[in-house]
Amino acid sequence: MFEARRETVLQYALADLVDKKPADAGVILREDAFIGHLNLRGNPDDAAFRAGVEATLKAHLPVKPGYWSAAVGASVYWLGPNEWLVLVAADAAADVQHNLRQTLAGHFSVVDVSGGQTIINLSGDDAGLLLKKSSTYDFHPLSFAQGRCVQTTFAKAMALIASRKDGSYDLVIRRSFADYVVQWIAIAAAEYGFAVEP
Amino acid sequence: MLLITCPYCEEARDETEFSCSGEAHISRPKNPEELSDEQWGDYLYFRTNPRGLHHEMWYHVAGCRRYFNVTRDTVSYAILESYRIGAEPGSKTPASCST
Amino acid sequence: MSGSAVVQARRLPAGGRINRDQPIRFSFNGIAYQGFEGDTLASALLANNVNVVARSFKYARPRGIVGHGAEEPNAIVQLGHGAQTVPNLRATQIELYAGLQARSVGAGLSVNFDLMALVGACGRLMPPGFYYKTFMRPQKLWMTYERFIRKAAGLGSAAAEPDPDSYDKLNQHCDVLVVGAGPAGLAAALTAARSGARVIIADEQNQFGGSLLAARPTIGHQTVALWLTKTLAELHACSNVEMLARSTVFGYYDHNFLAILERRSDHLRISSPSVARQRLHRVRAKQVVLATGAIERPLVFANNDVPGVMLASSVSTYVNRYGVAPGTKLIVFTCNDNAYQAAIDWHQAGQHVVAIVDTRCNPSGVVVATAKELNIDVIGGHGVIEALGKKCLQGAVIAPLNADATAIVGATRQLDCDLIACSGGWSPVIHLSSHTGAKPQWSDAKVGFLPGESIQQERSAGAAKGTYSLLDCFSEGAYAGARAAQLAGFGNGTVSTTTPPIEELTEQPQQALFLLPHVKPVSRAPKQFVDLQLDVTAAAIELAAREGYESVEHAKRYTALGFGTDQGKLGNINGIAILANTLGQSIAATGTTIFRPAYTPTTFGAIAGRDVGDLFDPVRYTAMHRWHTEHGAEWENVGQWQRPRYYCQPFEVMHDAVKRECLAVRNKVGMLDASTLGKIDIQGRDAAEFLNRIYSNGFLKLAPGKCRYGVMLKEDGMIFDDGVTACLAENHYLMFTTTGGAAAVLAWLELWQQTEWPELDVFFTSVTDHWATATVTGPNARKVLALVCDDIDLDKDAFKFMDWRDGTVAGVQARVFRISFTGELSFEVNVAAHYGRYVWEQLLAAGAEFEITPYGTEAMHVLRAEKGFIIIGQDTDGSMTPADMNMNWVVAKNKSFNFIGQRGLTRAACQRCDRKQLVGLKTLQPETVLPEGAQIVNDPAQAIPMKMQGHVTSSYFSASLGRSIALAVVKGGLQRMGDVVHCPLADGRSVAAEIVGSVFYDPKGERQNV
Repeated sequence: MFEARRETVLQYALADLVDKKPADAGVILREDAFIGHLNLRGNPDDAAFRAGVEATLKAHLPVKPGYWSAAVGASVYWLGPNEWLVLVAADAAADVQHNLRQTLAGHFSVVDVSGGQTIINLSGDDAGLLLKKSSTYDFHPLSFAQGRCVQTTFAKAMALIASRKDGSYDLVIRRSFADYVVQWIAIAAAEYGFAVEP
Repeated sequence: MLLITCPYCEEARDETEFSCSGEAHISRPKNPEELSDEQWGDYLYFRTNPRGLHHEMWYHVAGCRRYFNVTRDTVSYAILESYRIGAEPGSKTPASCST
Repeated sequence: MSGSAVVQARRLPAGGRINRDQPIRFSFNGIAYQGFEGDTLASALLANNVNVVARSFKYARPRGIVGHGAEEPNAIVQLGHGAQTVPNLRATQIELYAGLQARSVGAGLSVNFDLMALVGACGRLMPPGFYYKTFMRPQKLWMTYERFIRKAAGLGSAAAEPDPDSYDKLNQHCDVLVVGAGPAGLAAALTAARSGARVIIADEQNQFGGSLLAARPTIGHQTVALWLTKTLAELHACSNVEMLARSTVFGYYDHNFLAILERRSDHLRISSPSVARQRLHRVRAKQVVLATGAIERPLVFANNDVPGVMLASSVSTYVNRYGVAPGTKLIVFTCNDNAYQAAIDWHQAGQHVVAIVDTRCNPSGVVVATAKELNIDVIGGHGVIEALGKKCLQGAVIAPLNADATAIVGATRQLDCDLIACSGGWSPVIHLSSHTGAKPQWSDAKVGFLPGESIQQERSAGAAKGTYSLLDCFSEGAYAGARAAQLAGFGNGTVSTTTPPIEELTEQPQQALFLLPHVKPVSRAPKQFVDLQLDVTAAAIELAAREGYESVEHAKRYTALGFGTDQGKLGNINGIAILANTLGQSIAATGTTIFRPAYTPTTFGAIAGRDVGDLFDPVRYTAMHRWHTEHGAEWENVGQWQRPRYYCQPFEVMHDAVKRECLAVRNKVGMLDASTLGKIDIQGRDAAEFLNRIYSNGFLKLAPGKCRYGVMLKEDGMIFDDGVTACLAENHYLMFTTTGGAAAVLAWLELWQQTEWPELDVFFTSVTDHWATATVTGPNARKVLALVCDDIDLDKDAFKFMDWRDGTVAGVQARVFRISFTGELSFEVNVAAHYGRYVWEQLLAAGAEFEITPYGTEAMHVLRAEKGFIIIGQDTDGSMTPADMNMNWVVAKNKSFNFIGQRGLTRAACQRCDRKQLVGLKTLQPETVLPEGAQIVNDPAQAIPMKMQGHVTSSYFSASLGRSIALAVVKGGLQRMGDVVHCPLADGRSVAAEIVGSVFYDPKGERQNV
């Protein structure tokens, strides 16, 4: 009877930027929409918790501050000493949440936050400069190499920023701030040439 | 613009990522109802304002969302240490380390 | 206009770092001139023989260019016009560009118009301390005076229109920041760079090289120039080095945070929305090398402000760097060896040196011998005691002086000249060092203040530290760079740089000289200017000392010494020395005033960066935002959220729309986007215990499927936030907060869990953005929901008020809450935000047959006020207890744990019966709507100041009730039902109103339970 229709977080913000496609863009933005986002809490010193998470996700649970791990089905980002962001396929979020609840015992929490945030991938030669304009964190490749992630300020909003193997950056931002963030990026990146990748 | 080391993120970050939560090591009395208004007022409102070393609590609001403590020199603004809640500061001042 | 040779009368036939093939046209004070690429506005004006560039602000005396850099006190101009005009720029630092237009700041009349001199005569009536003495009383007139003083002070004017240019910021991190790219700075950058450290080197000039740029090309057999070229090439090639030209490091802040203003397109005068005109670099440096150089100190003698009196190093700079001779007949007036170079440069350029007047008795040494070999007349033991001329220099009076140059010991005589290059030695640029809090230290040996001991990770090198020999500057810079890199973790501190093999000239000691004697005493002599920008004379400083302003900080404020936009870069040291001498004490004992950021004036545009206009503050949108914009929403900002305030239909104004929306909710059904409410997921074994401690009411017995309204207090017992919390499952809750309070509540929960009760197992996660919420409310709400939801039993007994259910709404997984902020039957439908707009539209479609009406926050406010529901922050203000809000029912009396705020509530002050309490107000005239914030008194006829009884917190016209309603807090109000009180308004009216209960509509609360 109903045909449920969903919208990406940046659906309207990016539609306003359709003409922004210079061939030699220094900054290229792409939304990785409809990913499953799970907020995971627990005690990393609890071996059972770690083992349970890693067995369920088939991914490494990073306990070192400021790192993320990638695996086939899930990426796990360190958010705090007892907090991680788990990214899974959109349709898998409910199952993964269920499986974690089945596997884990003791004090933990899993919360689906998929609707509340989105991922912006920034690539291009000048993506690093754009980050320098937007955040006080030091994104120099020596200190912020592949596999690093950081929660910090981004313009006047906040973001989880992760360094990827291909040299690009993933920004996880909150839905309500997304239009502001995209507008900021478009203006700050204009001098380098700014493109939106569908 | 202070540069504050978060003991959980194990990194120095810009002051803009944090908010200050006032004097550290203020413990909530176990039995508030047994305190006089004056004693309660001391807990609620009275804080040290030292010239020199001061232990203060900060909240890493744009980062890991953890509270932690900092020992800061209120004259030079130099930060001597950051330490986790529950830990004792390495640099002590007699006045502000009673709890 | 004919050829440039004619136009640029003072341009030398050859030499200089200018491009004679690129003439540039510009205008100054409305007159067209021509200069060359590579000129500054100052060098181009001098090339065109423009002597007078300003009128002084107090005495309106004609003034000319004195310096060649940041120190310039006179050539302060207003650049450009209209929206892009910039005030208070130094002509010496403005690169010439085609079409440049500049004028003297504050010069309402032409700088050459002598009538101004008559006005200036009034200056005689303005002794130091004039402002204090004249304008302090009556105090209320100060604002009026200030406007005139500012105008007279010639501070320039900001653009009246919005700035069309863009500005931005870059957050920088480096191991070593080198400030200044003269010999010491370049050597420092080079050694640091070779160690592998990340280096930023910034210089305010358009080219790197500092003093080397003005050095004669033949110095040291050209090795210096070669070294400069090679060094710059090596630095450019380093991937770990960022070189910032046209970049002024203007402030040094805590924890090695420095601010740099980079002028990116000022010199091109192009305007592009994407490329920032200026960029603020916010630098966090591990180590800093301050190689900021030194500024030459002028000598203070009578009429030393006549155009044509310049700094010796500036004369050299104009000759060597710009190929300009700012006069024809030069006298060099000095107390040191260094200034002899100006005479040598002048002579080498084929110009006539009248004499070198040296206050030292028997000047000798290498440089003196060199001058004499060039047949330059060196007059030792003499000083220039007075300059002659008004608009241009016409001669100098010189006199023989005693050994310490404090007295005239023989007859004076006149020398013919049109240019005096004077030098009283050098003042290290210690501004940035003193920003760190380092106290400047006076050095008798260096005759200047040197950087004090620093608490920051920095060191000074070269002239900034009082080191003036070129060779020493190179080696000191190299060592500083290596040491800085080492402390940042690079290299072992050894120096690998090769300094150029230059011959070092041995210099004779300089004489400490700050004020030349005159045949008349200081108080009677022609004016001897100390601070040219603010017209502070030696006599004024002596007077200040005599009047008791002995502290250097007091004397500064009394005389205005150093208060100009140049911060006294030229005048301060002479002024302090004169003060010390008057007081009969040493300069070290007198001390100095402290420099503060910014080193040179900085534009607001750069400080604001991109955070302007739409990006001034983030605007947060809900998932339904686009629908609202497409349907005529007018907005209300709630925190950073943008919420529909009301939806305007054709021919409606706000009042009509709100009335229509309110009536729809009361009579049919309405729908509100409630997505902005804060939502916190709470999980853990001790979640209920935690909630029970944090809320004033009990939460231990809340069962899954149930919701409860709760109020949070601060420890003082005052209401902090409120909202509904639902029990989702055992040990699993969802807390709603107010829209504006969401972040503060989350921080509050974390604070207590992390710092006081870490033993409680509970985790908090913000889910505000995850859920989109559509509130369907009104008598027909159930019917609407039934059309899109078939898996929740909506029966009133199966799904009760304050229950919640999981289900499917329009095919989307949803969580539905039966909670109400309108007092009507309400369902709050929550779905993952990706489906927010879709579900919103499906609910509207389903509700069409019931005339479902979207409503905004204004109607929401009216509807809740009709019910007496409070809004935190509107009806409360951080000083209201639950009892004050007549909400004692929300305070549990018998919790085992002393909840947050409980003890606060028992304080005597919280128990008083005359506290302000929440009541309703009905105006005696039903149509009159009280203004929110109106003060309440018992007797409007009483004398002012009236005795206040409270104030109106919420006030609306209620369409449902056909009259105005208001909520107010009134002292002891709950005991005053039926009393008539009065609200005196700003327009003189007073509105009478009756105190009533705070629930206006459906007092029994039956409508939400149907």
